Amino acid sequence: MGRYDAVIIGAGLAGLVTACQLARLGQKVLLLAYGHGALLLASGCIDVLGFQPASSIEPVTDPLSKLADFLEERPDHPYRFTGRDNIEAGLTAFQALVQAQGLPYLGAADRNWLLPSAAGAVHPTCLAPASLANGDLSRGGRMLIVGFPELRDFYPALISQNLNEQALGVRAEPLLVDLPPVPISDDQNVLPVELAYVFERPDFRRQVIQRLKGQTRGYDRVGFPAVLGIKRHAEVMADLESGLGKPVFEISTLPPSVPGRRLLEALRQLLVEADGRMIIGAQVVDGLIEAGRVSQIRFESANRPKVVKAENYILATGGIYGGGILTDADGGIGRVWEPIFGLPVMAETNRHRWFAPRFLEPTGQPFANFGVRVNQQLNPVDENKRPVAENLYLAGGVIAGADWTRGRTGDGVALATAAAIVKQITGRIYADGASAG
Amino acid sequence: MMRRSTEVLVIGGGATGCGVLYDLAQRGFKCLLLERGGLSMGTSGRFHGLLHSGGRYVTNDPAAARECIEENMILRQTMPHCIENTGGLFVTTPGDPPDFADLFYRSCQQVGIPVEEIPVAEMLKREPLLNPGISRAFTVPDATVETWAACQSLVHSAAAYGAEALTYHEVVEVLVSQGKVTGVVAKNRVSGEQMTIECDMLVSATGAWGGQIARLAGCDLTIYAGKGTMIAMNYRMVNTVVNRCIPPHDGDILVPIGTVAVIGTTSVRVDDPDDYAIEDWEIKLMLDEGEKLVPTFKKFRPLRAWAGVRPLYQEKAAGADLREVTRAYTLLDHLPRDGVDNFITITGGKWATHRQMAERTVDLVCQKLGTERPCQTAFTELLAPEGRKFYSLGERLRKVEMGEWPGQVICECELVTRPQIEETLARRDENIINDLRRDLRLGMGPCQGGFCTYRAAGIMHEQKKLPARETNKALVDFLQERWKGSLPVLWGQQLRQTILDEGIYLGLLGIDKLPVDLTGLNQPRVAEVETEGYYKVGGGGS
Repeated sequence: MGRYDAVIIGAGLAGLVTACQLARLGQKVLLLAYGHGALLLASGCIDVLGFQPASSIEPVTDPLSKLADFLEERPDHPYRFTGRDNIEAGLTAFQALVQAQGLPYLGAADRNWLLPSAAGAVHPTCLAPASLANGDLSRGGRMLIVGFPELRDFYPALISQNLNEQALGVRAEPLLVDLPPVPISDDQNVLPVELAYVFERPDFRRQVIQRLKGQTRGYDRVGFPAVLGIKRHAEVMADLESGLGKPVFEISTLPPSVPGRRLLEALRQLLVEADGRMIIGAQVVDGLIEAGRVSQIRFESANRPKVVKAENYILATGGIYGGGILTDADGGIGRVWEPIFGLPVMAETNRHRWFAPRFLEPTGQPFANFGVRVNQQLNPVDENKRPVAENLYLAGGVIAGADWTRGRTGDGVALATAAAIVKQITGRIYADGASAG
Repeated sequence: MMRRSTEVLVIGGGATGCGVLYDLAQRGFKCLLLERGGLSMGTSGRFHGLLHSGGRYVTNDPAAARECIEENMILRQTMPHCIENTGGLFVTTPGDPPDFADLFYRSCQQVGIPVEEIPVAEMLKREPLLNPGISRAFTVPDATVETWAACQSLVHSAAAYGAEALTYHEVVEVLVSQGKVTGVVAKNRVSGEQMTIECDMLVSATGAWGGQIARLAGCDLTIYAGKGTMIAMNYRMVNTVVNRCIPPHDGDILVPIGTVAVIGTTSVRVDDPDDYAIEDWEIKLMLDEGEKLVPTFKKFRPLRAWAGVRPLYQEKAAGADLREVTRAYTLLDHLPRDGVDNFITITGGKWATHRQMAERTVDLVCQKLGTERPCQTAFTELLAPEGRKFYSLGERLRKVEMGEWPGQVICECELVTRPQIEETLARRDENIINDLRRDLRLGMGPCQGGFCTYRAAGIMHEQKKLPARETNKALVDFLQERWKGSLPVLWGQQLRQTILDEGIYLGLLGIDKLPVDLTGLNQPRVAEVETEGYYKVGGGGS
């Protein structure tokens, strides 16, 4: 294989966004990933800081203003290394990237949208595609939540009642509508992504609109499960809004996530268009660190071993969920390790200290913070805080302290670390074509 | 206080209590059953699901073994919808005492357990993942049983004769007057209301809790609680029940159930049947022993661990080794023993012998009430409640694939459909997703409820017009239940799976921020995470 400016390992939000920015800034990049990243499992929005303190049920309305409080409570969180500047730079760069792909994300670092979740909880999020942002609860008014009995991943009555119960200033009512005949063989078990493709058919949409006509009277907007198209999403939205004569919004539901799929496809296409190279199904076996620098990595693809060399390497393999951090115990002493470079990991060996007693423990699960320690430059460091390799950078959930479920910071960490790394490597901030939305 | 009366009152909704209720009802007694939790929620719901052939006990406890084989053959006729005829194997693994196999074979023949030695090559053809180093293999008629379906069928069949079972009713007082039990006071754990129930005869079928009930009646009865820990692995690595051909031992049985395989068990005496812990050494031992049967055992994912408490009774105090206490059952008339009339305790035994235990119990009831009514339970097939007729996953899958089984698939791991859930919800008063699990195996597969918990909650909310807060509570409770059981074996790939569930329920759905009222019956139990090598997970009940 040729020599690259940068090799990025991992195709989640952090890896893709880092690769896209570097490629657009003229670097020759290779992205290697074993799987498809976690975008398909997420809401498709960009959560930067949703709750502070994590146990609070009051959502954060301005993430930046709460950052100092948050870092006081979570001093090991990666935001400590990226700082506020990189959060802002990361969000701006992300907005510029997706704008260029026709998938605008609305919002800014000093404001959270308050979106309804598929359980009717409040989901505070910083950037959202227009279709989701339209569900913002702070706008108030009456909303109709439409579901389809054939879609088992969305329950409008539960969503509505939970929203109303919280007295958020909106009034939500549920409506279940039978789907028009769908060209899906198992039409009782329609998957969100399948349905999203069906919604791209104008005749199908016409029938849906027909079935809803007359039932939307008195509502200010109409919410749907997030299944309104993938490639032709904008067209689907415009068509439904004009057909119903109301603003339409989407609510993200169980994986695989349709908004996540839109984002994944946009970023992959962007990377390829920027002359980046991407190999999915590549298992990185190991990396060689010599004299404080990574000199090469080995990976297997199509059952063949390959070696690749680059100036810089970005590890964006995620935490335990992503496979960037592995765990084992075998009923006895716990083991936690980073499998590619064998980097020093911050973790407990006593497995009994990995968990909190409650699944929903407000302060989170200890294992969720296991990861690799980094310095200000996002290089991995050893126990004495000395960098392990100066041309190796860590992005996203592989970094220690990155528990994202409590506080809801995962996407912010991905984007902020990506921006910081891009700055380290190129000396520049990616920002062209930015839109604040 | 509400009052009601019945002829015979049964305490305990496990296999034995349900069996006693059914037998009583069939013999024409007016009868009522009280269970403090749901049906089959204590020891009967906390075993590996093995319907013993008796082979396990044949060398050291032939009486128990004989009971097992007799009942095994009867239950196949009376509850076929609850039983999967997996067959069983006894295998000699490398390092096992080589002379035990001949003793085992001779003992099976003496007790009357159909046994056949098969070539190891034949065994490997049937079960390719078994250890190729196994030197001898014997087939026996072991099977697996779906305990929740069985207990419900027993109660359902008893109801056809007019009997009734009250779940979530706990006995708080036993009324004794002039040396005779006259009734009990029971507390409804959902509403908190108390009720007096008068009866002519009280039968305690409360297993390891039998001592507690007896003490309420002023009788001194000690029943040892023998904890057995089991682990469900994420893969049905064998289709036959596999036993080590050695004297009874920790981790000597591997049982295929639904989509998973269960390895068990340990045997540890505990003081309180409601308060015990799963210990690290037990987990490690189970996994190590599993490798002796299936060399790739640890390559599979442990899904969850649980423990049940066997009731072990001996009039004289037992020594340290609980495996020496008989697994045969004990029927006690408290009149000659303690001077308390109209009170019977049935305890000990095996799941497999519950019908025989019920028969002997009701024989004693008849004798004490001065009536003679023959037992019919060995000759009558149980009625299966609607929706409980498809036991094996293969059968469910075939029907789903052939389009014969209409309805949305809500739990994809265990192929549970929406009509099944709706039917079960309609039948039940309590809104507990864990009951759906016990009824339908919802959420018991590899993803441990990741997707179906939300769906089941949504369906429950729609169908039962539940307040959202109640629905949220049911959701939180079920997730906590799954969490609690997974902790002792949570690492590696299963930890990743659990983080996916965390991502869905916190990151995506935000259920940690929903309004919820965590009081009352269904208060999620907190797993006490200890740093000293064990997980305290509480006992049966709710």
